[in-house]
Amino acid sequence: MSGNLPEEAFAAALASVPQVGPSALRALLARDTPSAAWARSSFAGDVARIWQRHEEKGIEVCWRGGPGYPDRLGGDPEAPAVLFCRGDPSVVDRHPTVALVGTRSPTRYGIGVAAQFGADLAAVGVSVVSGLALGIDGAAHEGATASGAPPIAVVAGGLDDPYPRRHERLWARVAEQGAVYSESPAGVRTERWRFPVRNRLLAMLSDLVVVVESRHGGGSMHTVEAAAARGIPVGAVPGSIRSPTSEGTNALLAEGCFPVCAVADILTALSLAGVVLPPPPKPAAGGAPDPVDLGADRSLLEALSSDPVSLDTLARRTGMAIPALCGGLERLARAGVARDVGGWWERT
Amino acid sequence: MLASISAATLAGAVGRPVSVEVHVSNGLPGFTIVGLPDAAVRESRDRVRAALLSSGLPWPLRRVTVNLAPSGVRKAGAGLDLAIAVGVLVATAQLPPGCTEGLTFCGELGLNGSLRHVPGMIALADATAPLGLVVPLCDAREAALVRGAAVHGVSSLGELAQVLRGQGAWPATPIVENPPALSHDPDLADVRGQPFGRHALEVAAAGRHHLLMVGPPGSGKTMLAERLPGLLPALTPEESLVVTRVHSAAGCLPSDGALISRPPFRVPHHSSSIVALVGGGSWSFRPGEISLATHGVLFLDELGEFPVGVLEALRQPLEEGVIRVSRAGGTVTFPARFLLVAAMNPCPCGEGVFEGACTCTVADRARYTRRLSAPLLDRFDLVVPLSRPDPDQLLDGPPGETSALAGARVAAARCRASARTSTPGRSGAGTGADDPPMHPDGSRLLASKLRDGQLTARGLHKVARVARTVADLVGSEQVHEEHVSDALCLRTARTRVAP
Repeated sequence: MSGNLPEEAFAAALASVPQVGPSALRALLARDTPSAAWARSSFAGDVARIWQRHEEKGIEVCWRGGPGYPDRLGGDPEAPAVLFCRGDPSVVDRHPTVALVGTRSPTRYGIGVAAQFGADLAAVGVSVVSGLALGIDGAAHEGATASGAPPIAVVAGGLDDPYPRRHERLWARVAEQGAVYSESPAGVRTERWRFPVRNRLLAMLSDLVVVVESRHGGGSMHTVEAAAARGIPVGAVPGSIRSPTSEGTNALLAEGCFPVCAVADILTALSLAGVVLPPPPKPAAGGAPDPVDLGADRSLLEALSSDPVSLDTLARRTGMAIPALCGGLERLARAGVARDVGGWWERT
Repeated sequence: MLASISAATLAGAVGRPVSVEVHVSNGLPGFTIVGLPDAAVRESRDRVRAALLSSGLPWPLRRVTVNLAPSGVRKAGAGLDLAIAVGVLVATAQLPPGCTEGLTFCGELGLNGSLRHVPGMIALADATAPLGLVVPLCDAREAALVRGAAVHGVSSLGELAQVLRGQGAWPATPIVENPPALSHDPDLADVRGQPFGRHALEVAAAGRHHLLMVGPPGSGKTMLAERLPGLLPALTPEESLVVTRVHSAAGCLPSDGALISRPPFRVPHHSSSIVALVGGGSWSFRPGEISLATHGVLFLDELGEFPVGVLEALRQPLEEGVIRVSRAGGTVTFPARFLLVAAMNPCPCGEGVFEGACTCTVADRARYTRRLSAPLLDRFDLVVPLSRPDPDQLLDGPPGETSALAGARVAAARCRASARTSTPGRSGAGTGADDPPMHPDGSRLLASKLRDGQLTARGLHKVARVARTVADLVGSEQVHEEHVSDALCLRTARTRVAP
């Protein structure tokens, strides 16, 4: 029976043995091929069924030293011995990679920044690495899957069980355009302790880590620690000193992480770290759009800022009555210079 | 010996005539009541017997049978006591036959023969027309609201027996004078700042648009909602009667016995059950909060904390203006034409999405807004964001405009609306026949929103109606672009609470 099963099947079976942890697995596969290691150890388990489960779901299996295993991970002593992947496992070696990570309950500021950096990085040919979690992770990938370099995701549980459910579609999109990696074989539920392990792998796969928004002691700090231990540069997006969701990032800046205020900062840090950047794409023809004639609404536009403000605040700043204010805002929105965010207004 | 006395019982907010037949015959002494009495009616045996004896009237040592016709309908409450007692007196020839001709009796008896209050007197009085009505003295004012001089208030069974024997005249019934409709509602002048919230309140009052306020704690949602009834015009005589009748049926009429002339304001707590809100009960149908709020304001504070089932139960009455409550014992219809005002936080922690102070996870927020189904959210024409007032304005700002000023604008807008169409502020998707006249620039703005996908067809209709109200408020004959953009601003918080 075992004669016609590929080596990948035994790698998956070894990773599926509950009592074998990451370091035991590394030790087992340090010298032997997966099938030899399986034969040498006397674990109970139906290799054929485990393999079938991975094949059915289209999950690629690669092991350290085997074909397809990402080169990036080769030198890391803590790299997973067996890696599961949906999509092409070697895609991570083709482009420079930047991890965009952060809190699961971000502010709109964080979501906006993550989505913009995700899109801009992908557009200049940098793969965005993230954890597909709610919040910043999801926003970064939403931006990165629009176009450009393949997105990379690292998740904690088995690849047959998209978690969180809300991101099921995003999962499929990332797997299709790039790759979703996991250390867990199919059938493994997403458990709490797997997140720090996931965050370590996320750092290993990245040339650079950027924390967009994080609370004090948030999960992103695992990624930062893993990156710092490997000498991977870490950047942080500064935030308001009054916002709890920026406590972690502001503390990182105080500790000496480089500040990220634009995509250009990330690209500079990448080239300083010795990463060869792809040539920038040609700028689109046309140039800047013509300025719109706003007339009397210009003073209203000046009362707006990039942070959303309430109508009451606007009424106080401009001294206008509510109906006139609504009309002016509507005209500004039509001109594309303002927009409403759940009843508050901001400059675009 | 047989006597037949007319009486009435309450079914929901309407009275039902009941004929009380009393038969006294030879046989083992006993007292039975048949004709589907509930527990309170069955216990009236003991009250009636004690009341007769206390009033110095002998109790027959014979077999007494009482039948409540129609016998297939369940009778509830103690209001039949008086009719049963009078029936016994007539059947035992203690009162002359024929003395109860043309009279209806409603009242509860005390063991000492005194007459006590019965809830729902207005509905009972309605049901017993055109007969004269004998009621407890304390209920006479209430019954006289609809029956005038046909009402006789008496204080005890003994007094009544004397009048019926022809030994005395009916005691004088106090005359009810309706005091002028004084508003005791809190005034809008107490609200500092909040220009947008005030504006939304005015539009809601003028067009009877259901209003949902979304804002963090301390943004004045409750304060504003409490001031909405003060902006509404006084009830018309017909409305006033409907409201008073429902309150009378629920037994919560103020004791001065006057008609309710100001729009009611009801604030059920979010732990209220469906029955408490829409009405019902196992045998006696009691009107719920939505009926008590009829022609007034129903305020649901902390909308997100209400159980989903309770909120969904509001959908049908919001659409139809009545609520039909069906039980094994029958179906009753209560009025439920109320203005719904609700308030909720933008998220469970209440700190909102923008300030960055929100500690809720995305999942928490999703769970919070999931309670609001899209159909329920659609019932709100106005979904407005509120924010905490500026501290300077709160402390030193000038007091706001009074309710009287804003109320005058609301009344004027309503006049304009009713001059144009007979059904102002009707909710539900229209056929287009009663769509307001719109200026081309207003239509153009709506069309562009529809094309961009920012409005659905249903949303378009709602915005058009709110815009009409806004135009009425400023006295504009046609709906212009500025009125439409105002109406659009008044629903912008939808995106924040949409599931």
